[in-house]
Amino acid sequence: MTETLVVRERGATAPSTGRHRLLPALLHGRGLLGLVLVATVVLLGVLAPLLAPYPPNQQIAGANLLGPGGAHLLGTDEVNRDLLSRTLYGIRVDLVVVFVAVPLGAVLGGLVGLVASAWSWADVLTQRAFDLVLAFPALILAIALTACLGAGLTTVAVVIMVAEVPVFGRMVRSSALVVREMPYVESSRVVGASTWWVLRRHVLPNSLEPVIVQLALSMSVAVFLEGAMSFLGIGVRPPSPSLGSLIKDGVRNIYESPTFALGPLVLVAALVLGFLLVAQALSKARAQ
Amino acid sequence: MTRYLLRRVPSALLVVAVASVLVFAVIRVVPGDPVATLAGPDASPEARAAIRHDLGLDRPVTTQYVAWVGRLLHGDLGTSYLIGGDIGTLVRHGLTNTIVLTAAALLIAVLLGLVLSLVTVIADKRWLDGLLAAGNTLAVALPTFVTGLLLVLVFAILLPVLPAGGVPPDGFVARPDIAVQYLLLPALCLSLPTAAALTRFLTDALQTQLREPYVLTATALGISRRRIVLTQALRNALPSTVTMLGIQVGVLLGGAVLVEAIFAWPGLGRLIEQGISSRDYPVVQVLLLLSVAVFVVTQLLSDVVHAWLDPRVRLGGES
Amino acid sequence: MRFHSGRPFTSKDVAFSIETWADPAWAVQFQRTAAAVTSVDTSRPDQVTLGFDHPVSNIFDLLDAMPIIDEDSIADLKAGKSYVGTGPFEFESWTPNTEIEFKRNPDYWGGKPHLAGVDTKIVTDPQSLVSQLRSGQLDAITGGSNRDLEALRASRQFDVEELKGAEQQVYVGANLQNPQLQDVRLRQAIAYAVDRPRVTNDVYRGAGYPINVPWPKYSPAYDERLNHRYDRDVAKARALVKEATQGSKGATIPLEYDASNSDTEATAQIVQANLKEAGIQVGLEPLDHSQFIKKLIGAKFKGLWVAIHSYAQWTPSTLAVSAYPFNAEHNASHFTDKGYLEHSNAAWQVTDGTGPEAVSSYRDISDDFLDNLFLIELSVIYTQVAHSPRLHGLSWSKRQEIDLDDAYLSKG
Repeated sequence: MTETLVVRERGATAPSTGRHRLLPALLHGRGLLGLVLVATVVLLGVLAPLLAPYPPNQQIAGANLLGPGGAHLLGTDEVNRDLLSRTLYGIRVDLVVVFVAVPLGAVLGGLVGLVASAWSWADVLTQRAFDLVLAFPALILAIALTACLGAGLTTVAVVIMVAEVPVFGRMVRSSALVVREMPYVESSRVVGASTWWVLRRHVLPNSLEPVIVQLALSMSVAVFLEGAMSFLGIGVRPPSPSLGSLIKDGVRNIYESPTFALGPLVLVAALVLGFLLVAQALSKARAQ
Repeated sequence: MTRYLLRRVPSALLVVAVASVLVFAVIRVVPGDPVATLAGPDASPEARAAIRHDLGLDRPVTTQYVAWVGRLLHGDLGTSYLIGGDIGTLVRHGLTNTIVLTAAALLIAVLLGLVLSLVTVIADKRWLDGLLAAGNTLAVALPTFVTGLLLVLVFAILLPVLPAGGVPPDGFVARPDIAVQYLLLPALCLSLPTAAALTRFLTDALQTQLREPYVLTATALGISRRRIVLTQALRNALPSTVTMLGIQVGVLLGGAVLVEAIFAWPGLGRLIEQGISSRDYPVVQVLLLLSVAVFVVTQLLSDVVHAWLDPRVRLGGES
Repeated sequence: MRFHSGRPFTSKDVAFSIETWADPAWAVQFQRTAAAVTSVDTSRPDQVTLGFDHPVSNIFDLLDAMPIIDEDSIADLKAGKSYVGTGPFEFESWTPNTEIEFKRNPDYWGGKPHLAGVDTKIVTDPQSLVSQLRSGQLDAITGGSNRDLEALRASRQFDVEELKGAEQQVYVGANLQNPQLQDVRLRQAIAYAVDRPRVTNDVYRGAGYPINVPWPKYSPAYDERLNHRYDRDVAKARALVKEATQGSKGATIPLEYDASNSDTEATAQIVQANLKEAGIQVGLEPLDHSQFIKKLIGAKFKGLWVAIHSYAQWTPSTLAVSAYPFNAEHNASHFTDKGYLEHSNAAWQVTDGTGPEAVSSYRDISDDFLDNLFLIELSVIYTQVAHSPRLHGLSWSKRQEIDLDDAYLSKG
């Protein structure tokens, strides 16, 4: 395939583990800001049981669509639930999506990419398969998969995983193809190293850096995708709250009080922005 | 070049062919039934059987597929089961709305991108750079449904000056002044990520140009920075920017699905949503295939442009 | 009296319409009633005589609901190309997924309509529907959210009408093949546990009233006493659950609903919380519209479901012969009972749908519902139409069709 020649890979001259160079980028500037944003939202989600004034699904007698203030800082929803509590618990759904589904997709995609780089028939096959997945806009993929699997957190996670596999697959494949042509790799093959050994010893460590940057980027996409899916009514199952489903419910009554949707909107924005800043900082550190 | 194309086109066609089987199969694998939706819960089994027969859904799946592809090749997109009407009309109608929206968004993005990057580069102030970078990150980061809802909140609810959604009642041509009001919020919301990407790209490209030797010469001759940027640097930076914009068109079309949902904009995105939820097989098949075809063509075009710019790729292709 | 095409309308056209309506491949509502017509005498062009093998109590419902169909243009009608009828407005044009235009029929038998024509716009988003009414682009809308309609009514700038006479009912269905739901005590517990007034008031914003039996208040089958048989009593519900389960914690019962309808979604969440209070664990399973309908007609729900039915506004016997959830021969609950089948046929085959004989048979049917609880009624709900104050004379049919025969627009 022709695409191989356009890839210019930095830092591929010697095996290096990226983490030592990347970590400091998160301790100042936009990296730090991103980290703080993400950490704050994560903390709010993790501490939800301590912070939330009510259980997330408790229907409080008489508290129908109350505006913000008093006992309910963000108000209550159509079926009498405290919105602040639901918003805090709703973060947890996004955490699952971000910290489980995305890494799983990355690992799966990475493995496929490695295999593809090693055998040419696998390469052709996977490239066309990736083309097909990428050809369907993520949301349309989501609508179709949800109709097949039924709505729910698992489906949201599967959709995000499926959408991420080709992203990581292509990335790992590209850097693998570059690394394989490096003189030291060729020499190790000359002395009789197996394909798997080369993959593990040389290709994998060199793909790590771009993958870490892409992870942060994909996590921000995942938050977006969860929100968009719930917004279209194909997200988590009621009564569990997620940031996206809370936004959708809030929008229904947005003329009543704009604050119904505001809490989850701010959190989604913070989370997505945080991950993006981290990704930017990491990729800048790589380039230097 | 021709030999390169000859090699790439069959593989692109193969993807479309496989996709046609996939879209045909996938919508049928999804549980649910267009006949059930069409007939309603109180219909008799006989009524459902008759509808099934009328739609041709009682024939073997392979026969249905062959018939569908046959009609497609003759330019007949088929008839919708549930929305009603022929799909050509539905698609034309939706496509018009989607294209108007996307074009408006592209226009806003180009205007924003040009103005912002030129101002930043000409002014050459550190604080402006910083401000722009921050704004850029925000515009890229915030999901369209967040920016869209915030725009609705501010401009349609708190200060009700613009409509919250829908298309202009008298069309786009008869009353352009009203059409603009309807287009503004959705187009702005759709354009933001592209505007940010464009601003960033153009700023970088201009700054690279300013480090070229000819700029030093021009500066030495006493030509102002503004003039150099506007006449020389911009002209040199434009070709790569146009290529980059081509890729962004795909991004815009993808983003339109969600923006259409937020702003109740009856374009292709809404049509496909309607089609899938009611299992309107012919509509879904055509639209999904269309989206695959658009993707494949954009991929092919960008590969071709790339090959054209970079002779190494062409050589690699022929080795 | 003439068709829109100019052809004179005769008794033969009535015969053709009934025949078409009786064809199982065509009709949806009252097909069984149309099929019960065994002969149509059309020897005089201005008179029709119908013959039956047995009395049919809801024959006038059929004549109310059935449109007159033009034999000459039926192929075009099926293809969606034309609609030739005898009504006040003539079909003019159709833009798929956008609008349908009608113009006045100056020769309408009921007198020339006031309106020059009607444009029906298709707006799939409830919020933009309401905002288009507010901005004056539309004169009347159906399908706004309950919350928005409540606000429109409160603003006093718009009229919001409840379509009385075209009631619908929101209910919880139970599939009796589910082992837990086989026990009638558990179904009784559900009937005692659900908070009907909350569904009416919080979800439907008061546009309706709580019920135990399907009948609207004006129906000859309505009985105030029966309607309170399962008034909310959580303690009783708990006791029944304990009795039915012997204290063992049963499996979670799935509750399915159509996720495209935010009202049934909210109702399902209230029902879930109510049942939890009574000690019944329920898991919500949202389905998309197509899947939901398929499960309903296939009787494939796993346990409970929340849905909306209609038909109780007609002659009461219609419910058990025409509405699928109540059909005595085959229904979504897998409920079969000889008594119920006999009662529903008896009610259908009386001559006078409102006489004492009929009323006593309706009483039997109501008792069948309440004793067996294969579906648990929650609330009557009204479809609502909001319109600008300049629109007058709007009315509607029992099938929720908007009727603009006498409608007119005032200035300003």
